[in-house]
Amino acid sequence: MSITIYPLASLSQIEKTPSREDGIPPELEEDLRAYGCKLIHEAGILLKQKQVAVATAQILFHRFWYVTSMKQFGIGDIGMGALYLASKLEECPIRMRELINVYDLLLQRASHTTGSTSSAQQYSDFKYVPMSYFGSTFYDLKDALVVAEMQILKRLGFNVHVVLPYGTLVNYLRVLGLTSREDVCTRAWGYLNDALQTPVYALYPVPTIVSAAIMLTTRHLGISLPSSPENRWWELFDAEWEDVWSVCGYIMRLYRERDAEDQKRLWGTAETLNARGRTAADI
Amino acid sequence: MNYVQVEKLGEGTYATVYKGRSRATNEIVALKEIHLDAEEGTPSTAIREISLMKELKHVNIVRLYDVIHTETKLVLIFEYCDRDLKKYMDLNGDRGALDPVTVRSFMYQLLKGTAFCHENRVLHRDLKPQNLLINRKGELKLGDFGLARAFGVPVNTFSNEVVTLWYRAPDVLMGSRTYSTSIDIWSCGCIFAEMISGVPIFRGRDNQDQLLHIMRIVGTPDERTLRKIATEGQIDPANANKQYPRYPKIPFSQVLPKASPQALDLLERLLQFDPSKRITAAEALSHPYFTGSIPFGLPGPVPGSMGPPAYNYPHPHSHQQQQMQHQQQQQQAQAQAHAAYVQAQGGMMHPQHGQTSAFAAQQDPVRLAQAQQAQAQAQAQAQAQAQAQAHAQAQAMAMAQAQAQAQGQGQPMMGYAPPYPQQYATGGR
Repeated sequence: MSITIYPLASLSQIEKTPSREDGIPPELEEDLRAYGCKLIHEAGILLKQKQVAVATAQILFHRFWYVTSMKQFGIGDIGMGALYLASKLEECPIRMRELINVYDLLLQRASHTTGSTSSAQQYSDFKYVPMSYFGSTFYDLKDALVVAEMQILKRLGFNVHVVLPYGTLVNYLRVLGLTSREDVCTRAWGYLNDALQTPVYALYPVPTIVSAAIMLTTRHLGISLPSSPENRWWELFDAEWEDVWSVCGYIMRLYRERDAEDQKRLWGTAETLNARGRTAADI
Repeated sequence: MNYVQVEKLGEGTYATVYKGRSRATNEIVALKEIHLDAEEGTPSTAIREISLMKELKHVNIVRLYDVIHTETKLVLIFEYCDRDLKKYMDLNGDRGALDPVTVRSFMYQLLKGTAFCHENRVLHRDLKPQNLLINRKGELKLGDFGLARAFGVPVNTFSNEVVTLWYRAPDVLMGSRTYSTSIDIWSCGCIFAEMISGVPIFRGRDNQDQLLHIMRIVGTPDERTLRKIATEGQIDPANANKQYPRYPKIPFSQVLPKASPQALDLLERLLQFDPSKRITAAEALSHPYFTGSIPFGLPGPVPGSMGPPAYNYPHPHSHQQQQMQHQQQQQQAQAQAHAAYVQAQGGMMHPQHGQTSAFAAQQDPVRLAQAQQAQAQAQAQAQAQAQAQAHAQAQAMAMAQAQAQAQGQGQPMMGYAPPYPQQYATGGR
């Protein structure tokens, strides 16, 4: 019952997410989750928001899709709502107007990218058209933002407590005597941040995720840690091998090669889903 | 909605509190209505209050039963308590001072509730008599809504913006940015002293003045201690090297001549200037003041279950049938008392009056005193009025109550099961 306990998805929620129940293919849900988190990340950078708020937002975003289908809400709106809410939770609130402007820019850029044929063209001739002063874009986005924040709170039953992994990583690296290796610290930290694009923070406890980040790092850099059956380093952190391995899998899947066709399909669907989500939320 | 509003209890900047009744069980509850602002969405104070309080289930913490979320507002359903400690001391104390048995019972419950918060990694950060609620069973509960005052007070900041500084720890006043459970302990100490003497122990006008008030009694710590507090609290270097007048320590026995030696010893441990030396809530609970024999010659009740002398109403939870008749008689007395209480409350809580004076007070220390005087006058007037009107009203109320009672008897009296929405995202795995 302690407040320090954070909720994780139940087995039934994992086996059949609301989106999958609604007929959204698992690969698409996975891609949309990652895409929504990238938007949150980019918005966080443009807003100069603290990483704690951005990470909290991404974790809330993942939790949300274990209780709600992506057919009901758009990933853009929920991402925006999650970032707004997380900024309040981490006591570094942002202004609605600024958040909305940033999301408008990001969404315009996304639709531009989808329409372009070559990757060079994608970035070169994008021009942001600011919202018209008399148009309804701002008010539509603002309504969507307020609804999204409220829906996140409501559907998560106000369970918005999030534990971030960074402190734990520092601790574990100290225990393993790896703090002097800057490459290890940077890389493990990076894996933790990249993992925010995957649902692992809603699925596994923090020690398991941190162990996975260390595992990937040490394997990549060829550092050996005690791994004999009677002396496994991850057991020191109460992590199970199967879980650590599974988290590693989630993270590595992010880096897989994607052909251009695949990429385009993803963005196209993200667009339509976002638009659909907006209308669904309005009704 | 499953609750009916009975009467308005108070209003603040972002919420209104009503006394309410559950349609299903007839239980009296407090309804805190939070208006959702299109400009800022859900207020962060509400988010924090709900996400923390729904987990904190303890007899000495006001229970959050339920949350009703609609398009335009958010209603929090809290356990109902009759009054806050401030009001209780005004009404039942001897010029505010409570008798030693009551002080001990309240103090035990306050520390129990605080210890429970701390065990669950929750800092209250705003403990003061107005935020401690007392029900008719004499149970003390930590709450966050002092009706007139607590509203809109941001619990996350330690700046001078907050209305009252009197319960704020010296390390916080010095600008400490690392908070810990010791800040609640300091507040507990201040409340302890206030229950014994009837007046707040440190009454500063502003941050600096508050610190001096504290030093005048507990003494100015030596250079080394001050430096240690500055380092540990990550105090801004600009503030860290401030010089303070050197005051000697005054023994608490001089400040509170009425207190027993054991009470003074506990107080001493609660009001340690250095936060690292302050006793913890759990340790305080096993202090001889609570565990030792009672030096008052009274067969003291078990701490935590003591009923206050003045009220002996049956609790709404007790649904023994044989009590029903008895209950009806007492209900009338209750109606009278409530009428008086509500009247007094109405005078105090007049929204505009309360609001403006609180804001004025923030800006100007001189006006603080004026505002307080004005408020005290208003309160006294309201009370006098209330007494006069209570009699007339009581008759009308009693009739209404009797009717309600008759209706109530037709329904089965079931135990109240808090129907908190079971849609918590993701249950534990």
